[in-house]
Amino acid sequence: MATEYAKISLDGLWYKNVATVQVLGLCPLLAVTGSVVNAMGLGLATMGVLIGSNLAVSLIRQFVTDAVRLPVFVMIIASITTCVEFLMQAFTFELYEILGIFIPLIVTNCCILGRADAFASKNPVIPSVVDGFMMGAGFLVVLLILGALREIIGQGTLFADFDLLFGASAAQWEIKLFDEFPGVLFAALPPGAFLGLGLIMALKNVFDARLEARAKAQQAPVTLGSKRVRTTGHIT
Amino acid sequence: MSRNTWKFHGGIHPPQNKQQSVSASIRQLPLPDKLILPLQQHIGAPGKVLVSVGDRVLKGQLLAQAKGFVSANLHAPSSGTVIDISDQPVQHPSGLPGKCIVIETDGKEQWCEIHPIDDYRQMDATQLLATINNAGIVGMGGAGFPSHVKIGTQQTISTLILNAVECEPYITSDDLLMRERAAEIIEGLQILAFILNPKEILVGIEDNKPEAIAAMRRAAQESTEANPGAPCAVTIVSVPTIYPSGGEKQIIQILTGKEVPSGGLPSDLGIVCHNTGTVHAIRNAVIEGKPLISRITTMTGNLVTDPGNIEVLLGTPVSHLLQHTRTSANQIHRLIMGGPMMGFSMRSTEIPIVKTSNCIIAADDQEFPDAPPEQPCIRCGACAEVCPAKLLPQQLFFYSKSKEIDKAKHYNLMDCIECGACSFVCPSQIPLVQYFRFGKGEVRKSKIETDKSDRARMRFEAHQERLEKEAAAKEEKRQQRAAANALKKEKQAKAKLEKEAAEAANPSTAASTAQESSNEPSNNDADEALETLKSNATKASKRYQQAKKALQMAEKNGADNIDKLREKILQLETKASDAKKALKEALPSPAKKIPAKSDATPNNTPKETDTSAVIAAATARVKVKKAQNALMAAEASDASQEVLEHLSTNLNTARTELEQHAPSEPTTGEAQ
Amino acid sequence: MAFISVTSPHSHRANSTAGVMQQLLLATLPGVLALFWFFGWGILVQITLSVITAVLCEAGILYLRKKPIAFYLKDYSAVVTAVLLALAIPPIAPWWIVVIGTSFAMVFAKHLYGGLGSNPFNPAMVGYAFLLISFPLQMTTWLPSEGNFGASTGVENTLQLIFSSSPADDASNYDAFSGATPLDELKTQLDLDQSTDILQQQDVFKGFIAGAGWDWVNVAFLIGGCFLIWRKIISWHIPVGFLAGLGILAAAFSLYQPAQYASPLFHWFGGGCMLGAFFIATDPVSAATSDKGRFIYGFLIGLLIYIIRTFGGYPDAVAFAVLLLNLAAPTIDYYTQPRSYGHDKPNRGTAKKDS
Ligand code: SF4
Ligand code: SF4
Repeated sequence: MATEYAKISLDGLWYKNVATVQVLGLCPLLAVTGSVVNAMGLGLATMGVLIGSNLAVSLIRQFVTDAVRLPVFVMIIASITTCVEFLMQAFTFELYEILGIFIPLIVTNCCILGRADAFASKNPVIPSVVDGFMMGAGFLVVLLILGALREIIGQGTLFADFDLLFGASAAQWEIKLFDEFPGVLFAALPPGAFLGLGLIMALKNVFDARLEARAKAQQAPVTLGSKRVRTTGHIT
Repeated sequence: MSRNTWKFHGGIHPPQNKQQSVSASIRQLPLPDKLILPLQQHIGAPGKVLVSVGDRVLKGQLLAQAKGFVSANLHAPSSGTVIDISDQPVQHPSGLPGKCIVIETDGKEQWCEIHPIDDYRQMDATQLLATINNAGIVGMGGAGFPSHVKIGTQQTISTLILNAVECEPYITSDDLLMRERAAEIIEGLQILAFILNPKEILVGIEDNKPEAIAAMRRAAQESTEANPGAPCAVTIVSVPTIYPSGGEKQIIQILTGKEVPSGGLPSDLGIVCHNTGTVHAIRNAVIEGKPLISRITTMTGNLVTDPGNIEVLLGTPVSHLLQHTRTSANQIHRLIMGGPMMGFSMRSTEIPIVKTSNCIIAADDQEFPDAPPEQPCIRCGACAEVCPAKLLPQQLFFYSKSKEIDKAKHYNLMDCIECGACSFVCPSQIPLVQYFRFGKGEVRKSKIETDKSDRARMRFEAHQERLEKEAAAKEEKRQQRAAANALKKEKQAKAKLEKEAAEAANPSTAASTAQESSNEPSNNDADEALETLKSNATKASKRYQQAKKALQMAEKNGADNIDKLREKILQLETKASDAKKALKEALPSPAKKIPAKSDATPNNTPKETDTSAVIAAATARVKVKKAQNALMAAEASDASQEVLEHLSTNLNTARTELEQHAPSEPTTGEAQ
Repeated sequence: MAFISVTSPHSHRANSTAGVMQQLLLATLPGVLALFWFFGWGILVQITLSVITAVLCEAGILYLRKKPIAFYLKDYSAVVTAVLLALAIPPIAPWWIVVIGTSFAMVFAKHLYGGLGSNPFNPAMVGYAFLLISFPLQMTTWLPSEGNFGASTGVENTLQLIFSSSPADDASNYDAFSGATPLDELKTQLDLDQSTDILQQQDVFKGFIAGAGWDWVNVAFLIGGCFLIWRKIISWHIPVGFLAGLGILAAAFSLYQPAQYASPLFHWFGGGCMLGAFFIATDPVSAATSDKGRFIYGFLIGLLIYIIRTFGGYPDAVAFAVLLLNLAAPTIDYYTQPRSYGHDKPNRGTAKKDS
């Protein structure tokens, strides 16, 4: 059981990461990662919707026929998204204003429908919720990294405007990294997001390649031994 | 005497380096002890060995006989003993050894019996062609394509071109040959003209060889004066010096302005193009009866102390040449057979001279330094500017390198003549030609594979067709049975009618029988036509099969005219399928005719006239249309005369039938 | 005796990629001198900075990519990219502008795509566009032209301007020294409903055609470009297409409403036109391949430049137009294959199976 959850977690955070491996949900990913707070807002919202939709879909998975499943899933996702939207309006109104259209657009994020169809509709409730959480977390992490990157390069700050999300006391969290930073506008604009995401993906691939190479290096002696066994009978 | 010349795209001006080897006249070397004769000195199949180890051979004796159409004979260059028939190092880009006959010379130079022809004008063309074929002459400019194949073309030739351009740097063998033996070359041209009967003979010589041009002009004039009746005069054209004007396609473009179609042959344009050495060899074969056993080879390069042109026996090892031209063999950095642009670098000095070896360059590392390392292509386009085939070498390079064969083919990789102009100018020092050779190899490989699967598909289709034919035959039989039944019924009906008629004392009985008998032949006609169509179809498909087999054979032999055969096959294929279509169209007609006939009979009984006549007329009309369509289709597809005639008789019969029925129904005329 | 076997041809013309690049650098000299004369020491400082940055970046990346560093550095391509970028940057732009721009060009536009020969975009222009988008203020501030090798600004002053560590000072510095380029000024004025008559009035436009100094700079680049064509480093197709495209549109519009649209001459000799036509657009790696394709490519760049200059948001447009057409170059190539020997007509489009 534990290994199953470990696998779900690893998949969500790394091996099947929504942003860097499946490359889904690019539209919000690229649009709202101008700063960490924006990224966190959208990431949390997406995560919430993911968990909710996975839960709901998994609950009703026995009762939905194949033919109508997609409309049903979309309905569920849309309802949950609307809930999240209302919640944000209620508690983080300014952030809601900034994120604007990208909150309702969570409905169209392929990864949510994808998880509902590929995982939640085939698995019991608890694994589905874990999957939703982990997928959401994976997405959130990439959003945060990208947001931090772009905020640092584009504005020279980090964690600016956190009061939008965590109340007035968070206003001091802002770190000003450079005193007189001109701000590389390029990073704050969409091209910067593309470039940043590309770099993150490249880094991940480099890391994967290293891991694989190391795994192979560790396996090498095993293959040697097995070869030796075969040498007794040379069949050609 | 100045004649309009055209330009080809691009071209380069590499340093000429010809002066080193033109000062001395053509000379001979002492006989080498050993002659090594590779069986494959030409494009096509290697010959069949006629001698065995230990045999004594005479000078000029046939050693190996041509095998297949695209192949060439091989003769002993000197008298001696065959001491070995085995694999020896030969000049081949792959570097693999090739099968050779090794002769130990006895120094006697004893000729075998030869048959000079005194007056070739008394012979007929096929005899002369056979003489040239027997002499084992191949294109001596480099490619080594058997000459008799070119001369024996079935197409009408309007222009005979002597390619005396010799555009490659260093090489001067043709230059010297023209300076010293111009009259013999002109004589050779006249022999070719006698065989091919062209309208004009053009000799293209680069303007960096004024002596050769002058010598050839003089010889040409003398020849015209000596034989006022000669078929046509020889025009010497001086062409601008630019590499690669000596490529066959390029010299044709320069002299005539025409381009050899891609995948085609010069003979498609009515042009035959020969190299100077080749024409000279042809002349020797006809006038002196001597087979091709020696050639002029340029020995040059900055390591050669006595550079010059040498008349050398085929099979002479290069080491022999090096020794007698006082070349310091141990300093050789690169030893090249052929010119610096298209020649091959040799691996060993023991490689023998073959029919296509026009030049040997022994160079140190000053003259041909190793190419600097390849840099990335900067797409500067210098290569495209000089490509005589008007290709885009930089694109070909990318696609060849990445093995994107389809794209490379789309950029006409196969039209590359491997002239090396692009590599010569490339600032990034990319060995482009090497990539193109590789790419071409890949294309050929993939072609062989698709051909294989094509053959499998054709086999499958043929099988399918057989099944269909069987089914059709069964169907036909069934219909015949049905027709017989109908006939029987009809007879009964007739008998009944007759009875009735007799009762009514109606006089139309006689007419009805007459009508019936007149209908019969038309039916037979149709059957006959069907038979002919069928036999036509089988004939066509048989021819198609034969052609296919020929193609396979040719492929095995590596023939160059594969493309033409393939075209022919395509034509045959369409013909066959057309014939089959015609057959199919014709097939249903007898089935229809039978009911028509049964309808036709009651037509004469006045009681049932109306309806039955309408039906009969309609059927007849349909038949006319069918026949018309079939005829048209056949005409459009160029079917044979026989088929057309049969179809038109078919149509006529159907028309008469219609005419018989139509008047009985007044409205039909208007409806038509 | 055995020799190594190599394929033909065995002789080569003695030219090299490095040679091509060196001649290109030589050809920029007139332009550099003109810029120096009119805008002072800044341009030389920028070129120096840019070249140093480019070479360091190239070496670093080659090291990371495990390639022979000296071998690739010797092809001079990094230097060419650096010089072209520096020529496009305002002479008094702060030092970090050119450093960031050059590193971006070398790392992202060149080496991430596989290095020399594999980059789909012109690296210098990618760097320039990056800078223009990121630092619009610094990238559009030019000194007013002087015409005495920068004597009135002085070397020290220039250096101080470029290396002044505090960006906050920049604003005041700019106010003291800077001026907009003629193209920029014209755009602003036209937007204010002025007519092209102001070309005769304002100081910035006091050149013989297109604004003080700028016309001479363009003439200098034109001379350099002609040298390149004469040396067969570039073919005439791209520059001629470029100037034709720009000129035709400009002529059409200025004939239609002379008060609203500047003349072709103004466009030809204003901004980075000649630099773009002869040095930027002709970068063979990212341009179209065949002669016909190159002409079309240049022509479209010319059209785009006019459109962006006149109707777009930026005063000059060489970088954007070139980058957009870089993107279109492969498509142009597909449809402009030359007719090869022995073929009735050229192949078109992409390769099909069994073609
Ligand atoms: S000449 Fe060489 S570098 Fe120039 S385009 Fe051709 S292959 Fe590339
Ligand atoms: S080798 Fe081929 S591609 Fe190169 S110039 Fe000659 S024909 Fe053109």
